[in-house]
This record gives sequence, structure tokens and C-alpha cells, in this order.
Amino acid sequence: MLRKPLILTLLLSLLIACAPQATPTTAPVATDIPATEVPTENLAVVYTDDLGREITLEATPQRIVSLAPSNTEILFAVGAGSQIIGRDEFSDYPEQAASIENIGGSFGEYNVEAIVALEPDLVLAAEINPPELVQQLEDLGLTVYYLGNPTTLEGMYTNLETVAALTGNDAHGLVDSLKARVAAVDEKIAPLSSRIPVFYEIDASDPTKPWTYGPGTFGDLLISRAGGYNIGGNAENDPYPQISIEQVVAANPSVIILGDSMWGVTPESVVKRPGWETIPAVQSNSIFPFDDNLVSRPGPRLVDGLEQLAKLLRPGLFE
Amino acid sequence: MKSNSYLSSFLFLFIALLLSLAIGSVFISPKELWQVVLGHGTEISTSILWRIRLPRTVLIALTGAALGGSGATYQGLFRNPLADPFLIGIASGAGLGAVIAMSIQWPYSFWGLMAIPMAAFLAALLTVFIVYSLARIGQTIPTTNLILAGVAFSSFATSLTSFLMIRSTSEVRRALGWLLGGATQNNWTAILAMLPYLLIGIGVLLFNGHTLNLLQYGDDQAQQLGLNVARAKRILLIASSLTTASAVAFSGIIGFIGLIVPHLIRLWFGPDYKRLLPLSILGGATALLASDIIARILITPQEIPVGIITALAGAPFFLWVLRRSKNQRFW
Repeated sequence: MLRKPLILTLLLSLLIACAPQATPTTAPVATDIPATEVPTENLAVVYTDDLGREITLEATPQRIVSLAPSNTEILFAVGAGSQIIGRDEFSDYPEQAASIENIGGSFGEYNVEAIVALEPDLVLAAEINPPELVQQLEDLGLTVYYLGNPTTLEGMYTNLETVAALTGNDAHGLVDSLKARVAAVDEKIAPLSSRIPVFYEIDASDPTKPWTYGPGTFGDLLISRAGGYNIGGNAENDPYPQISIEQVVAANPSVIILGDSMWGVTPESVVKRPGWETIPAVQSNSIFPFDDNLVSRPGPRLVDGLEQLAKLLRPGLFE
Repeated sequence: MKSNSYLSSFLFLFIALLLSLAIGSVFISPKELWQVVLGHGTEISTSILWRIRLPRTVLIALTGAALGGSGATYQGLFRNPLADPFLIGIASGAGLGAVIAMSIQWPYSFWGLMAIPMAAFLAALLTVFIVYSLARIGQTIPTTNLILAGVAFSSFATSLTSFLMIRSTSEVRRALGWLLGGATQNNWTAILAMLPYLLIGIGVLLFNGHTLNLLQYGDDQAQQLGLNVARAKRILLIASSLTTASAVAFSGIIGFIGLIVPHLIRLWFGPDYKRLLPLSILGGATALLASDIIARILITPQEIPVGIITALAGAPFFLWVLRRSKNQRFW
């Protein structure tokens, strides 16, 4: 008695189960998707950053957080300044950067909560940012592009073009004008046969063992390009060597450049340092304060740094 | 008295945990926090609470617990009020390991990011092993030898670390941040990686309150009371080193907690290690959470490495408690 209803129910349920599978074939296929919607999907561009990570941008980023002063300068230079909504503590150039929200960065600690709260669609990291930070931001679902440090001016131009492409801007005009300015300096410096020995001071809190730029830094590169000979450039494999005052004296620099002038070091205070009076540059008072940001930040202002160094070292050649 | 001390310790820890979740550089109102807990919060608040503050809170609490527990153990083991978890060089060893790992360019990958904590962890354990081997005389481990060997090796490792930092100037910022203490990798991976070592270490310590009480009579008397002193010391040393190393690996070197928390507990609740150990573990977590909250909000939006705050806020607090206490000869 019970069997028949059971089989019937089973058959019925089978039929019901099969039914939905059959319907799609008979259902009309939707063909009227608006054509305008299709291209938005194709806009997604995949980039590979300098950590080898793949970054997909669905649209041009309009809410950018910059994690380094050099990145902020690059963003402004390529015309993406208005797209920045957050910047690190040390981003102080250009002036407009001051009004952008500060997301920390002193002591190497960034305010991750504040970054997330800003809802950025792109976080531009730099080589001074530890990979742990990149990972943490990535884990939080943010799009992070890690921009490595260039070692040549060509590399800096490439970074400008990369950031321009990321932010939907064009850096060709900027790069061309930078190249022209560098060429103008090269043209005047290249024919010179002699080089001026230069001591570039990063920090001399201990005047017997000052810090200077070593090989592989823009400080070293730009001094050479400006017609100088960087005496710290001999330090083996050390980009920021601490050298003995004896070596400074022995190298006979005819010019001293004070990259630490922003910390209050003046030519007058250098003259008073015991043991420094034997250096020719001190005797001739060829000691010049200098904006270290122009050689330490790997951005477009490196070219300003080159021009200013060239003017310092060869005042006769430049008006 | 006994249940009272545990109750108040748990209560303070609970309050610290709640505050650590509620307070951050981005203000989230209590109402919004409640919404997040119920699952109706905005996307940002949800992300900040569950994916930034919660892992950070857990990591800081575990680190504080580890430092408090091993601090109490070291003080008991060495019968020395100046002992802290870093007494015999674990911090200098971990620091050296971390700075060596930082001077290498690791690929950006899971293992590349784990290289620094792993190097710090292994170097910390290796340091304790070396110091232990140097201090051992036959079957005995004289405490004085252990301290002297530890201090000497510690200075050696610290100099090497400073030398490496001066040599590779580009990594100084990162190394300094690590050495000053602060959760650099506050995510669940870090917590899962440290948890097994921490649980084993703390678990063993919790069973050794009585052993530490016996050790207070001195090695000879403890031996006469039936304790295998050499074996007990070895077990305590291994367990507390494992605990400290797992904490240091991910949070860097956070000083003062391991020194001061056991003293505070001793001042308030007496010197019985059966109670002192668990209460120091709870107190360590509470104290480090409190320091971390201060580190987050003191000069917002900047964050200060928590290792600076522990002593900056902890030392005056401890001195205040010490002055107020009638029981000043608590050792």
C-alpha cells in the first residue's frame, strides 16, 4: 500500500529536480547588454611593481596615499597632486603637501588605521618602506604599488613615467624638459679637464668622524656630474660612509657642501671646528649650505640638485 | 585574597583588551563598534577593528604575557631583583639575528617576510644555548657564572649588531624600529607562528611555581629538600627562553615589562611563585596593552615604538607604587 505513493513521490521529485536543468536551453538568451558597459572591464591594467608583485588597477586611481616624500614629489610633478589624499610625515614638498592628511611614518611606524580609513584606491610605497608594511596593507585589501629606488637619472625618469601611467597622467613633457636641463649642464661640464674635490657633509655631530655620500648614491653621482670629485666616493661598497677627519684633510677638498644645513649647521660653525682649519676649503671659506633633499630624495628635484651643485662648483659657467 | 587577586587581574586584563580594541588613531564611536561586533558596521570600521586592532591586541597581549611570565621566572631562577627576561643575552642575540637577516635582500614572499622573525627566534635560542654551555661546570650551573657569561655574550652581540647597523646604513631605520620594540607584523600568521612555542613555554612555567619557591632557599637547600636543582634550572631556562624568544621574534625588543611587572605583583600579592607566575603573566599582558594604547594615541597620527613607552610610562608608575607601598622590603 505504501510502496506506490513512495515510488510516485520519488519519481515526482526526480522530475522536479530535472526540470530546472532543462529550462535554460529554452529560455531566451539575453543579448541586450548595453555596449557602453563592456569597455569598463577591459580597463583593468596589470602592472608589476619593483618587488615583483602584480597590481591590477580597475580604474584610474583618484584616492592615492603616498608613503614617502620622494613619491609625493613625483606624484605632484606628474600632475597627480590633486589625486593624493594621504601622505607620510616627512612629505613637505611641494607646499600643497602640507594640507594633505598625515598618515605618520616617523620612527618608521605608519598609521595603518588612518590609511585604511582614507579608503585609498592606490598606496604608493617606496624603498624606505619595509616589506612587512607592504604585506600588511595588501592583507587589508589595499592596492599597493612599491616603487624601488633608482640609481641613475634614467631610472628616475622611468619612475616618473611609471607613476604617470599608474595615475592616468603623462610625464613625457616633464621628462623631456628634465633631460634638456641635464644636457645643458653636461654641455658646460663635459669639456672641463679638471675636477674639483668636494666634501659633502651629511652629518658631523662628531666633527672627527663626519658622514658623507659614498658610491652608488645620487649625492656621489650628481657631484661628479656637476664637475666635482666626491671624496666619499672611494668608500668601498658603503653608500653612507662615516670617514675620519684625517681622510678629509688628506683628500684636500676645495669645496665643502653642508647637506646638514637644515639642521642648523652653518659655514661659521665649520670654521670653528678644531682640526678643520687645515682644510683648503675652510681656509678659502668655500663652505656652502645646501638643501640635502635635492640629492637624497629620488624624485624630479634631483635635476635641481644637479644644477645647484654645478652653479656652486663652477660659478663662472652658470649665470 | 587568592581569588581576589586573580579576579582583579583578569578584570584589569579584560578592561585593557576592550580599551585596546576601542581606542586607536582613528576614532570609532562605541555605538559604531557595537554595530561592527553585531556585523552591521561600515566596511572601514569592520576592517579596522577585526583586521588591524584585533590581531594587534592579541599579539601585544601574548607578548606581554610572555615577558611577564619569563621575567618572574628569571627573577626567581637567579634570585635577583634586577633579572629580566633579557638578562642572559636573549635580546641581544635576537637583535643580532634580526639585523643580520635585515642586511640580506629577501624576495618578497611568505618565507622572505618570515626570515627576520625566524632569524631572531633561532638566534635568541642559540644565544641561551651558548651562554648555558659556557656557564656550565660539570653537572652544575652556578647562577653567577650564568649571569656573567650572559652579560659578556650580550655585550659581544650588541657590539656586532651596532657594527652591522653602521655598515649597512640603509637598513638602520628598520633595524632601529625593531630594536625599539613594536609589532611590525601584526597579523594572524605571526600569532599562529608564535603561539605553539609560547603555549609550551608558559605551560611549563605555570607548573613550576613550587620549584621556584624551593629555589629561593638556595641551590644547596633546595637540593636537600629533594629538588634536582640542575634539572629544574635547565627546564626553567628552556621554557622561559622559548617563551621570550617567541615574543621577541615578532615584537622586537620590549624592555621593562619583564622587569617591573613581577615586582609590582610581588608588592601587591606577595612572593609565592605559585601565585606570582600566573599573575605576572596576566599583569604582563595588561601592562603591555596599556603601553601600546598610549603609544598609539600619544602623538597621533604618529605611532611611537611601544618599547619606548614601556619604560617612559612604566618607570614613574612603578616608582609611585614603590613609594606608596608600606611593604618596601618586599624581596
